[in-house]
Parts: sequence; C-alpha cells; structure tokens
Amino acid sequence: MSERPAIYRTAGLTKSYGTAPTAVHALRGVDLTVHAGELLVLLGPSGSGKSTLLNILGGLDSATSGQAWFEDSEITALDADGLTEYRRRSIGFVFQFYNLIAALTARENVQLITDIAEDPMTPEEALALVGLEGRMDHFPAQLSGGEQQRVAIARAIAKRPQVLLCDEPTGALDSETGIRVLTALETVNREVGTTVMIITHNAVIADMADEVVHFADGAIASHTSNPRRKPPGELAW
Amino acid sequence: MNALPPLTRKLLRDLWRLRGQALAIALVMAAGVGMAVMSYGMMRSLDAARSAYYEGYSLAQVWVPLRRAPDSLARELAEVPGVAGVETRLSGAATLDLPGIAEPVLARLHSLPIQLNRVVLRSGRMPRAERPNEVIVSEAFAKAARLAPGDRLPALVYGKRIELVLVGTAISPEHVYAVAPGQIFPDNRRFGIIWMAREPLAAALDMRDGFNEVLLRLAPGASKQEVIRRADRISAAYGPVGAYGRDLDVSNRFLSSEIDQLRTMVQILPPIFLLVSAFLLNILLARLIDTEREVIGLLKAFGYRSAPIARHYAQLALLLSLGGVALGWVLGFWLGRGVALLYQAYFAFPALTFSAGADIYLGSAAMALAAVLAGAISAVWRAQRLTPAEAMRPPAPARYSSGPLSSRLVRLLPDEPSRMILRGFFRRPLRTIASVLGLAMALALYVASASSTDNVERLIQLVFERGQRADLALSFTEPRDGRVQRELALLPGVQRAETYRAVGAELVKGPHREREAVLGLPRGSALMRIVALDGTTIEPPPGGALISSQLARKLDIVAGDQIEVQVTEGQRQRFTLPITAVVDVPLGASLVIERGALNRLLREGDVASGAYLMTDPQQAPALFARLKQTPQVASVTVAANAVRGIRETIAESMGIVTLFNTLFAMLIVVGVTYTSARISLSELARDLASMRVLGYRKGEAGFVLVGEQALLALAALPLGLVLGMALSRYIASSFSSDMFMIPAAVSARTLAEGVLVVAVAAAATAVLVRRSADRLDLVRALKTRE
Ligand SMILES: Nc1ncnc2c1ncn2[C@@H]1O[C@H](COP(=O)(O)OP(=O)(O)O)[C@@H](O)[C@H]1O
Ligand SMILES: [Mg+2]
Repeated sequence: MSERPAIYRTAGLTKSYGTAPTAVHALRGVDLTVHAGELLVLLGPSGSGKSTLLNILGGLDSATSGQAWFEDSEITALDADGLTEYRRRSIGFVFQFYNLIAALTARENVQLITDIAEDPMTPEEALALVGLEGRMDHFPAQLSGGEQQRVAIARAIAKRPQVLLCDEPTGALDSETGIRVLTALETVNREVGTTVMIITHNAVIADMADEVVHFADGAIASHTSNPRRKPPGELAW
Repeated sequence: MNALPPLTRKLLRDLWRLRGQALAIALVMAAGVGMAVMSYGMMRSLDAARSAYYEGYSLAQVWVPLRRAPDSLARELAEVPGVAGVETRLSGAATLDLPGIAEPVLARLHSLPIQLNRVVLRSGRMPRAERPNEVIVSEAFAKAARLAPGDRLPALVYGKRIELVLVGTAISPEHVYAVAPGQIFPDNRRFGIIWMAREPLAAALDMRDGFNEVLLRLAPGASKQEVIRRADRISAAYGPVGAYGRDLDVSNRFLSSEIDQLRTMVQILPPIFLLVSAFLLNILLARLIDTEREVIGLLKAFGYRSAPIARHYAQLALLLSLGGVALGWVLGFWLGRGVALLYQAYFAFPALTFSAGADIYLGSAAMALAAVLAGAISAVWRAQRLTPAEAMRPPAPARYSSGPLSSRLVRLLPDEPSRMILRGFFRRPLRTIASVLGLAMALALYVASASSTDNVERLIQLVFERGQRADLALSFTEPRDGRVQRELALLPGVQRAETYRAVGAELVKGPHREREAVLGLPRGSALMRIVALDGTTIEPPPGGALISSQLARKLDIVAGDQIEVQVTEGQRQRFTLPITAVVDVPLGASLVIERGALNRLLREGDVASGAYLMTDPQQAPALFARLKQTPQVASVTVAANAVRGIRETIAESMGIVTLFNTLFAMLIVVGVTYTSARISLSELARDLASMRVLGYRKGEAGFVLVGEQALLALAALPLGLVLGMALSRYIASSFSSDMFMIPAAVSARTLAEGVLVVAVAAAATAVLVRRSADRLDLVRALKTRE
C-alpha cells in the first residue's frame, strides 16, 4: 500500500455551518490520507459529516479551517473558479439521486463530459464499462433506477478522472441493482486505476474496499485496511 | 401571522418568494390597465371639455359663409324652423408684416362676437369701441410670434393697409385647433386669429352695411341637414351656397379625429399587455403547481378538499393582479394628466383636466381580472384535479421523448447544452409559443409606435419632395390673368413660376353631394404634381378628372363614372366630367383636371387663382418683402415652414408617445424574459448544478439558461417585425381621415431599433437571471429530490 503516492491529504479539516451559539460542526478536525488507486469506503451514521468531507475533497464546498491537498496542490486554497477547473480536470461524482439531465439521452449525458474533457473515453466505451451499451439512446425517464445510476457512473468516469467520489450511490437501489452498480465502480477502480471513495451507511459494502474509514460526529473514529477485497458479487444484504 | 390559517400563510410566503416574477407580471398588467384608464379617460375628458366649451361659449352649429348680405337675410334665417339663434359677423383674411418674421403672416379676421362663438380672454383686455384699431389675437399665435399687448401689427386686408394694435389674447371654441386654410398641422408663428370691432373691420372689408357670414344655433331636436338645405336656398342670392355644420368645421374635425385615434390605441395596446400578462401568469402558476404537486397531493391525503386548494392558487393570481390593477390605476391617472398637458399645447381649451370616471377604473380592473381568469384557469384546474396518489409517486425524471422530427432536429446540434435547450422547447411547446408571442408583441408595439415618425416622413416626402416641389405657394385674392406668371417670374429670387386655377364647387353624384374645390393644374408641371400614396406621379388627364379616393368613397364613385360639377363662384357654371382615375392622395387635391380644360369649362380665358414658385433661398427676404407689399396676394405658404410645422408637431406629440411605448415594449420583454428565465432556472436548477459539479464553468452552464432566452428572442424577432409592420399599416389606415391619408412606411432604421430594444432588454434580463444561476448552491441543489 505504501508504495502508492498519496492522492489526498487533509490536516485538521473543519467545517461548521452557522454562527457561534447555534453553529453546527459538521467536521471537527479530520486528518486523512488517501492513496492513489485505492477503493475507500466511508461509513458512519447519518449526519456524521461524510458528505461534507466528500464535498470538500471534490471541490463542491469549502472548509472552515484546516487544509486539504490533492496531490501537490492545496484545494483549500483554491477560489471558486479554481475549484471548477479542478473538478473539470480531476474529479468524477456519483450521487444517490443520479442527477442525470432529463433532456439528454444516456449517450448525451456522457457526452456532456466528453465534450469538455481533455482525454476522454468515447461515450460508447464508458457506457460499455457499466454494461449499458444497449441503452445508449434512452432518456433517463426510460431507464430504471439502477440503469440511471450506471449512466451516472459512466458519465463520471468517461473523462478518466483520477478520483471518483460516490455519495451513497446505492442508497436508492434494491440490493441486486446496488450490487450491479458497485460492480461497475469496482471495475473502474481495477481496470482504469481510478481512486474511488464511496460513502455508504451499509456496513456490508466495506468488504469490497481496500480501506475503511468510520466516521462519527464529524471526526474519524477508525481507519482500517482490509487484507483482501471481496468482489461485489459476493456481497449480500 | 400565527393567527392566519396555514394556507393563507403559504399564500403570502409564495408571493414573497415569487416577488420578482409577481412584480414583472403585475407591471405588465399595470401597463395595460394604465393605458386603458388613460385612453378611455382622455377620450371622455376631451369630449367633456369640448362639450362644455362649445356650450359655455355658444359655438355655432351651422356656418353660413356669404359674399355680402343685407340684414334682411338674418331675419329670414331666423325664421327657418329649427333655428334658435342667429348672429351675423364679418370675416376676412389678412396678411401681417411682423418684425422678426420674414414671411408674410396669415391671419383670419373675425368681427368681435356678441352671442355666438364667444371668446375667452386670456390676457390683456377686450378692444374698446372708441379705439377702432384695437384687436385681440389667438393666444397660441401671440405666444409663437412673441406678441404682447401694446404691439402694433401692420396688416394688409384686401389690398388695404391698416395698422392694428394688440390689446389682448383670447381663445375660442371655433379655433381649438387653429390651422391655416389647406394645412393640417398648426404653424402658430405664421397663422393666427384676430378679433376686432365690427365697424373698422367693415371699413377694411368694404362692407359697411352688410355682413359676410352668419352663425346659427339650432333648437334642440332640429335637423341640421334640413336647416342647412333651407339656409342655402335662402342665401343663394348672396354668395356661394356653402352652409356647413360642425362636422365640417376644421377645428372640430381635428378634435374628433384625435378622439378616434385614442379609440384605435385603446383597442390595440391594453389587449396586448393583458394578453401577455395572462400568458405570464399562466406559466408561473403552472410551474408553481408543478413544483407543489406533492404538497397538493399530501394536503388532499390529509383531507383537504379540492375547492380550497384551487382557491388558494386562484387567490395568489388574484392578489398579484390586484397589485397590477392598483399600479395601473395610478399609472393611468398619471399618464392621463401628462397627456392632458400635452394636449393643451396642441388644442386650445380654457381647461382640460384629465378625469376618468369610476366606471373606467372599474372597467379596466374588470378587463384585467378577465385576463387573470383566462391565465389562471387552466393551471388552477390542474391543481384541483390532482389526486392524493401524486404525493406517493416516486420522483421521476421529466419525460422527454424523441419524436421523429424533434429528434432529427436536435441531432443536428453539435453540443449537449444546445440540445438541452431545444428539447426543452419541444417538451413545453405552449410555454415556448407564449414566450415567443409575448416578445413578438413587444417588438410589434415598438415598431408600430416608432414607425409613426417614419410614416410622417414618408408623407412629407410624397407631398413636398415628390409632389409639391415649389418652395412657395401663393393664392390670389381674386382670379387673375394668366400673364401674372411672367410678372411673378421677374420677382427677386424666383427661378420658376407656375399658375393654377382653383374654383369652389359642389360635386354631385346621384344622391351624394360634397363641397370641394376643383383644382386645375398644368400638364407637365414641375412644381405641383399629384403623387399617389404608392409614390407614383399622375398627370391631370386630358378631358377628364382625377378624384381622391376619400372623396370618391364619399360620393360613391368609381373610375368611368360621370360627376356633376356645380361651381359655387362667379358664373356658377354646371358641367359633367368623366372620372378617369381614383387616386390615393396623401393630402389635399380632391378633384383635379387639366388647367386649360378648367378655364374652358368656366368659359374664361387664361385665368389663374394662385401660383407655385421655385425660389432662391438666398433672396427669400427680398422676395417676402415684395410679396408683403403685393395686395393681390392673399396668402403665401412656405413649404419649408409647413414641413417644419409637421415635424415639430409630430416630434412633440409622438416623441413622448414613442418614449412610453418603448418603455412599455421593454417592460413586456423584461416581464416575459424574466418570468420565463426564472421558471427555467427553477426547472433547470438541478441540471445546472449537475453540470457545474461535472466541471462546467459558470458561463458554460449559464449558457443553457441564457441561450434559451436568446433563442426565444431570436424566434420572436421575425414574427415581431412582421406583426409590427402589419400593426403600423393598420394604425396608419385608421388614423387616416378624410382630410389626409397616412402612408405606411416602416423604415429599416425603426426595424433595427426595435430589434435592438428587444435584444438589449432580453439580454439584460437573461443575464440578471443568470447571476442567480451563478450563485446556485451546488450541494443543496443536488440534495433536493426535485
Ligand atoms: N448547508 C448546511 N447548513 C447547515 N447544516 C448543514 C448543512 N449541510 C450539512 N449540515 C449539517 O452538517 C452535519 C453533517 O452533514 P453531512 O455531511 O451531510 O452528514 P452525512 O453525509 O454524514 O449524513 C449534519 O448535522 C448536517 O445537518
Ligand atoms: Mg450524506
């Protein structure tokens, strides 16, 4: 593990919402290192700050104090435009509610990314990677939830991002469909080498990870490594 | 606040949340209500001011112009059934030589009124009987010519030189709109009304025992037509048969035509505004109900009945429109007062105050509410029909389909954001059409309004540049030998002179009679040509007559018909003429024949009634000085002054109207764009946030929003231009009266300005909404389900 270079590093990262008496401390000093190529699962109860961390790492949100580095650049020092460029170049996102654009077909949703990326896959390649080569010209409304989420994954990976950040990607799916989605994520991690961080509150999913981070009350409660990753197909819940 | 029922609280919060769009819609509605209040109120105010003025100062109902008549005629006229009042007076024309005004100034002289056509003294005092040369003059003339009590006015009255002393200024119901004979726009500097004591005027006119005009008041219920017929018969011995009623009084005709113009505007503008506000309200409510369908379903699941829920949305529409109506009333009142002031510079009333009755205010509100109802009903109906099951429905992406045509079109686009825009249009065609129509109407409004100046410029071009190319038009006090042409040519600065013959006549065709001048023009004239509305030049035909289409309509005559001409001057010949062509002439020239032919028909030699001169402007002062000394010249019309008069009048009245219509057009554009962009933003928030998360820059994501509005505006432009030109043509034709025809001539410049106005207003609004898109909180936008 240690031969891999660090892709993320945070030091004393905090985030609070609101002001003094009623302030909500979403992150209370997070120190975390993520290595390139890892598949990391973030576990923790609802409201413990997982999404907040992921959003800051992904350049969607800014920290209140502390620092976060992506490779050698400090993302906590970037302004809004800098964060946009950072997202554009390096990050892929997958959310619980897919966030596909309803007016665009599956292929076009992926093209949305390949249009602006530097060295993208073709939309066809990306959709094939998640097993959707047959449904490329369907609109989101014509796809099932799992299929929509796989389109979202294809869209996220098509630009060959260094990192794929997934916030409860299976939260809205039944277990069978969820496993198919996780398989797609695992494939991307294994075959393309993309670093993948997955938020979930489903502890079973931790078995497919290289690294498992437990979150509680805005801080890391534990950080463990799995000696062996279980293929998603062997998971069950 | 807590005492309020929850739905009422929601209502107020919704209004506050949607305040930008609510304001936009209320403003558009206010413009419609305001225009209606102003137009109807002004029509009524003008009408009321006119009636009060006419009654208060006893304006005659019938004028009987004569050559010279004895007092016995007045007694005979008094006995005509239906005549309630008779007043004789002296009337004449004078040219004044005023310091500081190069051209001879034309004045209409009246003997001081006793009972009828009384004047309102505005400054100074009335002339004293023992001072024969004291006069009062029309107020507008005094102002424009910078005359004040005490000033001396050297005048030439029928060849006699007299000196008048100004002692006061006045206005009269007879000259609310004062224009020189043959003109349609006032030139107050060079035309005025003069009232003076009867004795000295009689001396000047050589009419010591007699008079040359009778004014009649009619008894209630009397037939004007019958009185005119009898008056003509009784007075036939004393001059041309020419009694006429108020409907032919020039001043009154202009007032009526102004009221008609207001009526045209009120038929066009308020409906546009109210239609647009209904569109906007509809799309706003539809969107609101769409976003709240789960809430509605939930409320129904909790046991709320449909009616209160429908009422809730109807109340929102109503509340919003009440704001629009109230604002519109204020706007209407304010506009009305402004327009009343504008009219006062144009029509001389003793008092013109804007007042619209309660019925007008209520009527305008009813119109607005009808629009609101039309806009709200389908959306509210949808809310009413929603079932509780909707609440349980899982969030699903909006349904887009790929129809064969739309998908092929969309595929042509190179990038995804453009495809999003186009698919959006196809998904909600009604909203797209409504937006395009709204923007098109705004452009049409601008074009139609701004083109009024183009139309007048075209009128000037047709009448003065193409047709009457003379610099000066003279009329003689009496018909003169045609050799006068050579004398005129010898005057200083005269480069070319042409004479014409004009004679007053009654034109008869079947049961129709019209009193008009017959104009005899030389063929091949360089200075006075008949130019039709379409720009073609027409020569007076040999052995026949041209007739203006307005007159032809009144006489029910077509080309090929014969017309009977009963001359009302001199030997009073009667003859018939074949009509060779009916021509749309912009102004003047009602029946035209060849000059030599007219001389022959009148059994006279080479006789002229006036002349057209082409002159060297350098020598104008010398020429004017000579003309002022020439007693045989009754009037001098300077083309350049007439043109300036038209331009100034138009610039004055249309400038402000165009400014307002430009603002209103922009208001519509802003209202439509703002509402449509805000709604798109609320629909697209997630999509835009998704794009931003994917790494799209603000501008790239905002393009979806701005591009959509740009495309709507682009689609509206050609439609708006076509609509605008049609509207301009309609307004021009409805503003055309029997006195003049307005050509429809929208200039490329007006079209370009309209496009610019719409484009700038739409772009500024879209960019404003885009800034809200830029501030989108990505995390929050993506967390919400819909
Ligand atoms: N925009 C916000 N304003 C105020 N509090 C917030 C906001 N976003 C998140 N929080 C709070 O921060 C804490 C952490 O939230 P989050 O990171 O979403 O938790 P998790 O993803 O682990 O469920 C929660 O208490 C949440 O209520
Ligand atoms: Mg979360």
